[in-house]
Amino acid sequence: MGTRFDEHPILGTTERGRLVSFTYDGKTLQGYEGEPVAVALSAAGVKVHRYTAKRHEPRGIFCAIGRCTDCVMVVDGVPNVRTCMTPLVEGMRVQTQYGATATPFDDIVTADEKGGTR
Amino acid sequence: MNRTDIIVVGAGPAGMSAAIEAAKRGAHVTVFDENSRPGGQLFKQIHKFFGSKEHHAKIRGFVIGEELMEEAARLGVDVRLDSTVIGLYQDKEVVVREGEEVSHHKADAIVIATGAAENMVTFEGWTLPGVIGAGAAQTMMNLHGVRPGERVLMLGTGNVGLVVSYQLKQAGCDVVALVDAAPRVGGYGVHAAKVARTGVPFYLSHTIKRAEGTDHVTGVTIAQVDSHFQFVPGTEKHFDVDTICVAVGLSPMSQLFKMDGCKVVDDRKKGGQVPVVDDLGETSTPGIFAAGDVSGIEEASSAMIEGRIAGLAAAEYLGFIDKDEMDKAVVANDAALDGLRQGMFAPKNRGKLVTTTEEGIPVSQSLLEHGYVADDEIARFPGVTRRVGIHPVIECTQNIPCNPCQDACPKHCIKVGDHITQLPAVEANSACIGCGMCVASCPGQAIFLVDEKDEEGFADVTLPYEFLPVPAKGERGVALGRDGSPVCEAEVVSVRQTRAFDHTALLTMRVPADMAMRARFFRAGSAGAAANETSAAAATAAAE
Repeated sequence: MGTRFDEHPILGTTERGRLVSFTYDGKTLQGYEGEPVAVALSAAGVKVHRYTAKRHEPRGIFCAIGRCTDCVMVVDGVPNVRTCMTPLVEGMRVQTQYGATATPFDDIVTADEKGGTR
Repeated sequence: MNRTDIIVVGAGPAGMSAAIEAAKRGAHVTVFDENSRPGGQLFKQIHKFFGSKEHHAKIRGFVIGEELMEEAARLGVDVRLDSTVIGLYQDKEVVVREGEEVSHHKADAIVIATGAAENMVTFEGWTLPGVIGAGAAQTMMNLHGVRPGERVLMLGTGNVGLVVSYQLKQAGCDVVALVDAAPRVGGYGVHAAKVARTGVPFYLSHTIKRAEGTDHVTGVTIAQVDSHFQFVPGTEKHFDVDTICVAVGLSPMSQLFKMDGCKVVDDRKKGGQVPVVDDLGETSTPGIFAAGDVSGIEEASSAMIEGRIAGLAAAEYLGFIDKDEMDKAVVANDAALDGLRQGMFAPKNRGKLVTTTEEGIPVSQSLLEHGYVADDEIARFPGVTRRVGIHPVIECTQNIPCNPCQDACPKHCIKVGDHITQLPAVEANSACIGCGMCVASCPGQAIFLVDEKDEEGFADVTLPYEFLPVPAKGERGVALGRDGSPVCEAEVVSVRQTRAFDHTALLTMRVPADMAMRARFFRAGSAGAAANETSAAAATAAAE
């Protein structure tokens, strides 16, 4: 759970953008404009960004500098967006990514039963 | 096709330094960086840098970053952010992706300063959300003001693991343990000591057995490893944590060199695949230079010097300066670089066990195995002297290239000597006035002022303090020893914060006279409460 702090012994007062709303899996959350989507999610207590295609394992922030792609999510309908590198914009629609889509695995049981990977 | 004189790939300390030197000599320089902020990792470096004046010693990393950016802007360096170099082709053609667009750029010389990427180790549960790189922790807390977690276990005791552990505490996180499979602390002893004295236990010859949790980390189990790095049964220890931070080294990001066809070798001492370069950083392809971590993992201070040399060499390669002018400028930089590559942690000593200092003093084994110098070891170092009245006590016990303390003292009480790696000594009969400049200037936070008032039965110990809240004068609490355990009650008798101290508060606490050489940190609250809080007590052997 990433808690925000406003004062730091070396860096002083944390500078942040405007407080804006965005949605995460349909729920309205707030974050600061311009900060990485991953940071806004972390501060809101979101840890799981996606579930892997084959084993359905959870993944979250790992490198936070755009290298590892563990934190990708579906943002404004586009899958595989690196949330650690994507600045938060008001009204952004952020969704947990299942495999490569925003549709939870439970909702596509037939595809899994056929042995299909996504 | 866009044309320029020099293209620099990477706007970190090496790349920006190269760009600045070349631009100073009249070259048009374009710098590409994939990030939306320049500076590479410099803006996450909030500690004071080691070295001497020429290495920006005692200046914090992010301040150095700001200075580099200002200078580059003044010189007209074109820095293109959010621009990923995705290709380097024959005849110095660079392909850059910006958003959904790809563009072609051509230069007559190229400096590649792409830096390094973090290494990772695998263990059961390592992919769980909550297992993060140390760099991720730095990014979240130092750039964005968010704690990566509340209770953190750090794997890795190299300088990154040590420095980030300290930064986690500065951001208000509880660091429950520092763990390393190696039998000895890998980073500077002073970095380890400043973490250890706050009460963080070190577990050397230990590594992570598993991260626990279903959807995210809820705990971690570590266990001892033998000399073959095999787990020793029955040594498991469990910690409740929400975050596991991994700091197990860096690897150069040298892919672009291979793309161009530059000769690349695998060099373990340099951290992996690195381009073969000459003294100026020039690769096997004339006009293509390498600088910084991409040509061998070192510190940001050395990356800046390598960058300056590569920038000068690129300017000479293109005829902006002649060879004489370049040589003159390079000589000074070579000397600065050589200074940084001295001492126990020099690249040439990587992996070697150094048992005595240059002065012939046995190295503290406790420092290597537990992160702090033991009480019975400290007196043998030349910075540790005793006398009635105020005087500095310098607990700097390893030969590292650093000397700001010598310059900081207006009374010339401290002597490092001609060789930058020598241990600082306190001059006998020196006239310490207790100004505290040495305490604040020491990047390793290894200097204390001790005012021994034997007749009155107490001593005042002044220590560097970089946490919030800063205790107030009159506040009572406990003094912690070098190992982080409570040693006695203490009262804050003075708190000094001035611009010259650069955000390091100087806390003076009063302790019983016999604790003058043991009390090294202050914690508010009663001794009992402090003992319960110590993370060591929270470690419980997991029943297997």
